Amino acid sequence: MKKLENYSEDIYKCSKCGICLAACPVYEETGNEATLSRGFFTLLHGALNNKIPLKKLAKYLDYCTTCKACFDFCPSGISAEEIILAARSYFYEHGDISAIKKSIVKAFNSNMILKGLGFSAFIYRALQGPFWFDQLGGLSSQFNLISNIVNSQTQEYIKYKKLSPVGDKKEINAVYFPGCINNYFNASVKNATVMVCEKNGIDLDISPNFACCGIPARGIGDMQSFISLAKHNIGQIDLEQIDYLITDCATCGMVWDIYPEYLEGEYKEKALLLAQKNMNIYKFLVQFDIFLPDNVEDNKIVTYHDPCHLKRSQKVDKEPRKFLSLLPGIKFEEMKNADRCCGASGLYFLSKPGISQSISKRKAENILNTKANIVTTSCPSCKIGLSQGLSLCNRKMPVYQPVELLANIYFNKMN
Amino acid sequence: MTISNSISIDKVISELKLVLDKKNNILTEYEERFCYAYDATAIGEKLYLPDVVVLPENTEQVAQIMKIANKYKIPVITRGAGTNLCGGCIPLKSGIVLHTSKLNKIISIDKDNLTCVAEAGVVVEKLQQEVEKLGLFYPPDPSNLKVSTIGGSVALSSSGPRCFKYGGTKDYVLGLEVVTAKGKIINIGGNTVKNVTGYNLSQLFVGSEGTLGIVTRVTLKLIPLPESKQVLLVFFDSIDDAATAVTDIISHKITPSTLDLMDQKTMDTVEQFHPTGLPTHYDAALVIEIDGIADTIFVQAKQIEEICYKNNAKDVRIAKDKKEADEIWFARRSAFGAVARMKPNVITEDAVVPRNKIPQMVKAIRKTADKYNLNVCTMGHAGDGNLHPNFSLDLRDHEEHERLEKAIEELFDAAIELGGTLSGEHGIGMSKAKFMNKVASNEVLEYMKLIKNSFDPDDILNPGKILIK
Repeated sequence: MKKLENYSEDIYKCSKCGICLAACPVYEETGNEATLSRGFFTLLHGALNNKIPLKKLAKYLDYCTTCKACFDFCPSGISAEEIILAARSYFYEHGDISAIKKSIVKAFNSNMILKGLGFSAFIYRALQGPFWFDQLGGLSSQFNLISNIVNSQTQEYIKYKKLSPVGDKKEINAVYFPGCINNYFNASVKNATVMVCEKNGIDLDISPNFACCGIPARGIGDMQSFISLAKHNIGQIDLEQIDYLITDCATCGMVWDIYPEYLEGEYKEKALLLAQKNMNIYKFLVQFDIFLPDNVEDNKIVTYHDPCHLKRSQKVDKEPRKFLSLLPGIKFEEMKNADRCCGASGLYFLSKPGISQSISKRKAENILNTKANIVTTSCPSCKIGLSQGLSLCNRKMPVYQPVELLANIYFNKMN
Repeated sequence: MTISNSISIDKVISELKLVLDKKNNILTEYEERFCYAYDATAIGEKLYLPDVVVLPENTEQVAQIMKIANKYKIPVITRGAGTNLCGGCIPLKSGIVLHTSKLNKIISIDKDNLTCVAEAGVVVEKLQQEVEKLGLFYPPDPSNLKVSTIGGSVALSSSGPRCFKYGGTKDYVLGLEVVTAKGKIINIGGNTVKNVTGYNLSQLFVGSEGTLGIVTRVTLKLIPLPESKQVLLVFFDSIDDAATAVTDIISHKITPSTLDLMDQKTMDTVEQFHPTGLPTHYDAALVIEIDGIADTIFVQAKQIEEICYKNNAKDVRIAKDKKEADEIWFARRSAFGAVARMKPNVITEDAVVPRNKIPQMVKAIRKTADKYNLNVCTMGHAGDGNLHPNFSLDLRDHEEHERLEKAIEELFDAAIELGGTLSGEHGIGMSKAKFMNKVASNEVLEYMKLIKNSFDPDDILNPGKILIK
């Protein structure tokens, strides 16, 4: 793992050409140079040369959603995300991270706390919470926003049902890493993923006792917790028994790719092997001749939002679109700037609500311009951003994972 | 001119706060101001910190800000995207940086009269996309058009590859809304292509680098969007052949929209960092774009191919589809980025010479780079005689930096000797101000100073740029 000091040459390399101004969703809202990569590099260079105290930069670097869009454009090829995370790690070590953030992140580090939170989500659903909260949302726009965000995480569209496979069982050892949202808050995507795989003759191994992938800890710079979660998760997998490691959460998938950078020795070797086997669900599914029922009487327009951690980190963007375009009764419609950040970015929507909401609103306008009935994405955090934006445009629209749509088709065709 | 005592700065800031009602539109923290001490010009470790940064949202606010600045005689430096390469936005004498990031509305597009009105902070590419939706065209294409602003284009009279056929920013400005040094809002020029009513003040502001007033709104001329385009990539064993081919194409009454040049070192560097299959053994390549009616450009492409072979071209590639065209442009546009990856800093020069002097100028660049042991990749706009030698170096190496300074001065002398001048499209700013006397006589400089003095008697508008007191 590289420390901030190790990036000093990369930081110095910034030619200040300003191309990142076009890429940065945050700058679009703030118009302030201290909130985007060129400014960050200027500041960090100043700090590393003792012109500014480094700790003073924490509040500026917090503006970054780490969407990596600027990296695609940067002529000098500098990764702002890596450098900002290295800086956050420094801030964490020096006690410059807020207590509130730390405590939220702590929850993700402990399966016990997650289970507790998950249980409350269960009770909430059992008491018809999404319905009542939705009704109450009419009281004020602020309330409506909160209810939409909460419901985006708790509404369970797909209930698990064992489906009989079409054709022969495939001889594939695929371990499924569901991630915290699937495990504790709302198993809808997990149910859909398992059902779609089962229908196509692939049994996913869902037995390992995984913990959080560690991204919340990494996001605030708590690398020690991140590394211990990495070791725990890697320890759950038997290397002899795995051809694929499947994720449906964009972030969890990215994290399996980067574990090796943070580990050493035996763990690093194992992590490297697993990174090769790590595959997003859509990339995995489109390799096969997926079973598609005919005479589906539906006529829905569906659009897709690229999660940053899927397109930019894992280079998976064609596959979800291909998957969607295969689905019967669905017309895929591309939105403008589909790969621009949704504004949610982990805890960003809580720490910078104003900017986050403006970014989400632009996203929602692009969604609405497609005239879609359904918007899909492949990341629980993006679901928050999309729901937030739609809510701010006073519109309701279901936010699904593409795999939920197919599970729903299978489910309906059974009856 | 700088206010040295902090009491009056505090007063300025408190008055500015009354004008800028939102607290996010006034930046006073040291760290924020630090980000505005730079633009895209490589100035090394020097630090010119502004006292305060303001982000006005409308012309009225700009006028109020200017009134405050005038009252306290504090400098105002207008900044668009801060992408210029002449130190144009650097607050040499501190003061207020006026960032136009929130003056970013397109006010109107007039399809019948082929004009549009945009606020200064509108991004060039955004404007182009909007007018193209209506079948209209705003041709000036500075290389940073994804971020650079209309206001910045006017301030520096920017242009780009398409300038050969279509001209630069100066050829599209019809009228301007300007805030004067005293804080008055004036409208100059108009919204008609023909307009002979007294002094042509709009053109005086084009290229004035924020030293005469603050441009807040621009009325631009548009033209109909060409139906289609075609790109050719042509390789030569010698830069002389490339240059004669350019002259020959033009003498055949063909006006390509672009006649861009890359030298061998540029292609080699592009291939190192962004491989697209460019051959690296040719001395020079031309990127030629033609546009117009589909049938005509098909014929013209064939004609250009023939002319190039007649002038000893070694290979002519005509893009078969949009993908191939994009690949050719990608290679050309990656050139700066590729140079930027060789060493930490890049200094891009901008000398311009009469078109037929290109081979001599390229040779002068190579000779000078060899003499001072510098790394240089030369690219540019062959049709305009505008060359961009890109020097990659590490400014922390002071000895290397000194060699570069000497080389640059020699290059300017070479360009002037060939009948050219200091800058084709990047401007003078702080970087070239000291060389102005190489191209302008004392009398000319006196007239320039008279103009500056009558618009800005207290020297508060971007002081220290273009003219040295």
